[in-house]
Amino acid sequence: MTRNNIWVHLTIALALVLIAAFAGGVRHWKKASRNASQVASHPERKPDDPQLNANEPDDAENAEVLVRFRSGTTRETIDRITSQFNDDVEDRIESVDGLDVIEDEDGNSAAEVVAQYRALPEVEYAEANSKITLDHEDAGRKHVHADDEMFFRQWGLSNTGENGGKAGADISAMRAWAVTRGSDQVVVAVLDSGVDYTHPDLVNNIWTRPEIIKAYQDDDLTSDGPVDDLHGFNVVDDNDDPMDNNGHGTHCAGIIGAEGGNGIGIAGVNWNVKIMPLRFMDGDGAGTTKDAIEAINYVIDRKRAGVNVRIISASWGSTTRSRALEDVIRKAHEEGILFVAAAGNASSDNDQTPHYPSSYNLGNVVSVAALNRNDQLASFSNYGAKSVHVAAPGEEILSTWLEHSFSEKKGTSMATPFVAGVAALILSQNPKMSVDDLRAKLLKSVDPVPSLKGRVTSGGRINAAKAVGAE
Amino acid sequence: MGLIEQQTIAEALVRARSDLAQRLGVDEQQITEGLVEQAEFPDAALGAPIEDEMSAQVITPGWRIHLKANGKTYEYRANARQLRLFNFNGKNYRV
Repeated sequence: MTRNNIWVHLTIALALVLIAAFAGGVRHWKKASRNASQVASHPERKPDDPQLNANEPDDAENAEVLVRFRSGTTRETIDRITSQFNDDVEDRIESVDGLDVIEDEDGNSAAEVVAQYRALPEVEYAEANSKITLDHEDAGRKHVHADDEMFFRQWGLSNTGENGGKAGADISAMRAWAVTRGSDQVVVAVLDSGVDYTHPDLVNNIWTRPEIIKAYQDDDLTSDGPVDDLHGFNVVDDNDDPMDNNGHGTHCAGIIGAEGGNGIGIAGVNWNVKIMPLRFMDGDGAGTTKDAIEAINYVIDRKRAGVNVRIISASWGSTTRSRALEDVIRKAHEEGILFVAAAGNASSDNDQTPHYPSSYNLGNVVSVAALNRNDQLASFSNYGAKSVHVAAPGEEILSTWLEHSFSEKKGTSMATPFVAGVAALILSQNPKMSVDDLRAKLLKSVDPVPSLKGRVTSGGRINAAKAVGAE
Repeated sequence: MGLIEQQTIAEALVRARSDLAQRLGVDEQQITEGLVEQAEFPDAALGAPIEDEMSAQVITPGWRIHLKANGKTYEYRANARQLRLFNFNGKNYRV
């Protein structure tokens, strides 16, 4: 390198540093200098390229996490903690007390940094700053790509035609996510075999009873006093632990709300939501009508106590009609709670042979059939021109499972939480929407599918993008 | 078929023979094994829900086990978790 070249390079480097310092402030000096070097090493990318800015975080090397410290944690404490971890408080989110954007300086992964912070008593929550990809390739419509490692297997959310499927035969989740990825203010009750609330892809989206809500008390069930329903309720054992020992409820919960954009596992229809685990089915995946009623009664009680639980996802049923079960679901309607139910897997016509609770003719019930990845009604799925309302993906569905794993399952059980999840997305935008309007919105925003004509009342597959106004 | 599956079926067969002998009031020696076949059942109750039972609507793999006694064939349904008797005099049973 000649002496002249050295001066040219030094001048350019100095200019970049000065521009960065003035543009971003001294606080962001280190990051700006790194970006400058990245641009220099990728000459085809320009810093003002909107595609670059939209597709990549502004620091491709260092992990960024969003950490909310508990109320009362002082700035001094936060600074001490971040200093101990050799991290940098990149930004403070002023509108949310205690919420900071923290940048790792040691080359740790986002998951490692999140784990460090979650272990601290001062931390309310910590989550990775997810990589959000916006582009305009889809006929001019924005969509958001999830960076979850197995997202490519989630054809129900985004079907690219892989494994012999039909491209576009999905719920249009990526376009919906350009508008909303859910809200932790929306609570969805998963009435099932419980939920593994410790699963790494669910743990941040599990409902926790706020301190201002009194513990649950049902004198007939809980004779020893209130149950500390911190994360839901177990009707099978009448206690406070709705841990799943079957796997079915955990699977359904993941479809609704596995944490999205965290780099691991899968993405739920909602990246952010609160799942209320309820266990009324045992390890075999079976339960009694009475326990189903008790669980719905719990949801209604919590709603009346102030919990914003607006949706029950019910991936179960039988052909036995129960007036009592019908009555309690009607009561849930009066409380503004949507009841999304599996149509059943007997390949039969529910208009002729009803399947309950999906066949109750109530204003808050949505009965759900299952589709395969080719937009065909699944061979096992029940249907009903008058009594089954919509269809959703229900074959080869990957979701969360026991022992912190993931598994593929099929059934109208799997289709049901897709619909419950889309309902939650709608409520994230319109929290005050009435249950009747919510149900109408779901049914009006379907994609017409030829194989569903005369098989479900709406004639279509649920479409999240249409439901949230993304198209 | 894997070893675990073979063990599951073997255990289910023992339990099913014992259950049927008891229900029919006959000696287990009078019960003969018929077809044992893999199956996919429509729900977690193996398509054999008992009265007042709700079950997860997930396709559940398992086995159909046919046993014969007194000139009649009886169908048991099994998976790694459970054993059920299907449509015995019009009713299902969890064994």
